[in-house]
Amino acid sequence: MEFNNCSPIYLQIIDSIKQDVVVGKLKTGQKMLSVRELAGKIKVNPNTIQRVYQELEREKITFTKRGMGTYLTDEEKIIKLLEEEISDKIIQEFINGMNKLGFSNDKIIGILQEYL
Amino acid sequence: MITLLKYEIYRRWKWLVIRYAALIGLGIVFYNRATFSPMQYNIAAASMGKFFLVSLIVFAIIIVEGINMLKEDLFESSGYLTFTLPKSGRSILFAKNFLLFVQFFLWALVSIQFGTMFLKLLPLEEVSRYMAEIDLPVYPAILFVLTAFFNFVLMVQFSLTLTRTLLYRNKYSGIISVGIFFLLTYLIEKFYYGPFLYQVQRVYSEIGSGLEVNMLSAGYTSVFMNIVLSIIFFTATAYLLENKINV
Amino acid sequence: MEYILTTKQLSKYFYQKKALEKVDINIEKGKIYGILGPNGGGKSTLLKLAAGLLKPSGGEITIDNKNPGVYTKSIVSYLPETNYFYKWMRIKDALNFFNDLYVDFDMENAGKSIEFMKLEEKEKITSLSKGMLGRLKLSLALSRNAKLYLLDEPLNGIDPVSREKIITSILDVFNKKSTIIICSHLIYYIEKLLDYIFFLSEGQVILEGETENLRNERGISIDKLYQEVFQ
Repeated sequence: MEFNNCSPIYLQIIDSIKQDVVVGKLKTGQKMLSVRELAGKIKVNPNTIQRVYQELEREKITFTKRGMGTYLTDEEKIIKLLEEEISDKIIQEFINGMNKLGFSNDKIIGILQEYL
Repeated sequence: MITLLKYEIYRRWKWLVIRYAALIGLGIVFYNRATFSPMQYNIAAASMGKFFLVSLIVFAIIIVEGINMLKEDLFESSGYLTFTLPKSGRSILFAKNFLLFVQFFLWALVSIQFGTMFLKLLPLEEVSRYMAEIDLPVYPAILFVLTAFFNFVLMVQFSLTLTRTLLYRNKYSGIISVGIFFLLTYLIEKFYYGPFLYQVQRVYSEIGSGLEVNMLSAGYTSVFMNIVLSIIFFTATAYLLENKINV
Repeated sequence: MEYILTTKQLSKYFYQKKALEKVDINIEKGKIYGILGPNGGGKSTLLKLAAGLLKPSGGEITIDNKNPGVYTKSIVSYLPETNYFYKWMRIKDALNFFNDLYVDFDMENAGKSIEFMKLEEKEKITSLSKGMLGRLKLSLALSRNAKLYLLDEPLNGIDPVSREKIITSILDVFNKKSTIIICSHLIYYIEKLLDYIFFLSEGQVILEGETENLRNERGISIDKLYQEVFQ
């Protein structure tokens, strides 16, 4: 994981984890690395990781089993939501980028049909 | 306190061994040379003179080492280590000076022992005539000299510490500490020993030289005064080290 | 809110120079702080005051609610910029020295740290390079279980490989019961470690805040922010 220092790191890490979930790098129900482990792995302040895990738990993407650690959810519904969230984000970014270059939405649809 | 002392000894134990081995060793060598030709007093005197020189050198080394023990922590970066240790100023100063104290004692023991041995080689009449002329109580005199030199080191340490307290990283620190030292010497002469010696003179002249015990008690009293002075300087330096210096 | 270090109107003057001018700082337990700023701005002075090496000219500084003294020195682990080792020591002596004088020193950990930093116990201090001395200082400072770590330019003169090792070591020692304050110019490498930063210049705090908030508000890295603030 590479992160830049220009925007809050905890948000970048959350996004990265969400992507890993959608892509399948992290399997449903899988045990997450502990706060210390992850902090050491990506060389980031453990308090930041703590914040990441708190946020993930708040969004119900992870849950904590007392005394055993943090686990990725195995609820299909949540994973589905994540997929949508991420793809929406990418699509929105794409559209914004294209709009900035001067492409109207109709043109975008045309180009996409050709491309795909 | 003891831990610090342990390291003060550990860091220079080889030098300490060499120092005293040389003192004792050379003492034996010179003594043997003197006894080899028993009636030739000039050889005995020469040997004694040589030993005296060696003894003086060792003494100077002890004093310089004693001063440097504190000086290096006050003026060099090792001070960052010493003064962040969880030890009081008293502990730090005590560890440094205890070794000094023990060395003075050791040196005095060895030197006096050899000194008396050498003296016995010389013609007795001359020696006792010499001693009678001086009329000096020996033990208080020796103690006075030792405590005076111990004081000397403590005063230098105090001067250095005071300089460090008043000035922070100044080029003139060296000169100023010397200045403070001489100022202290002057003040002590004028206000501490001065009145004391005056009293002694008065008592001596009033009661008359018939009382021999006067010189003896005067001798021990001046030793006592030195000890008090040592305590004052030690305490003052420790206080500055703990509460006032900026490293 | 538990503070491990607080300063109230803390000032330090050297002759005419104002190293610190009425500074108010509160350091919470369990966080990593960065004190950033140009040379001569007061960072080292602040750390030395906390370490008990300097005495305040005005105001006060307390560590664990106590004035700097023998107790605070026992719970503070200070890493100075300079080489502070006694010249007569070998690395092994330095380890033993720390072990004897600090109750919270972890000898086993120190031994491992020395190995990790590719140092050998029998080496003389006087034969170590600047980089090696930096790594040794850090190994010793971080092998203590202190409540407050004060690291003054821990990455100066350190090669990239050692730098990563040092960052790893800092993360390893950090826990909820300890607090770390780092002063460094090399902001780029340490920003990810910092919870909260102070920008100190000419003896005063000119900017402070939570690192992530500052990133969010300004949209730039702390490194860039530093460059902007100090031109």
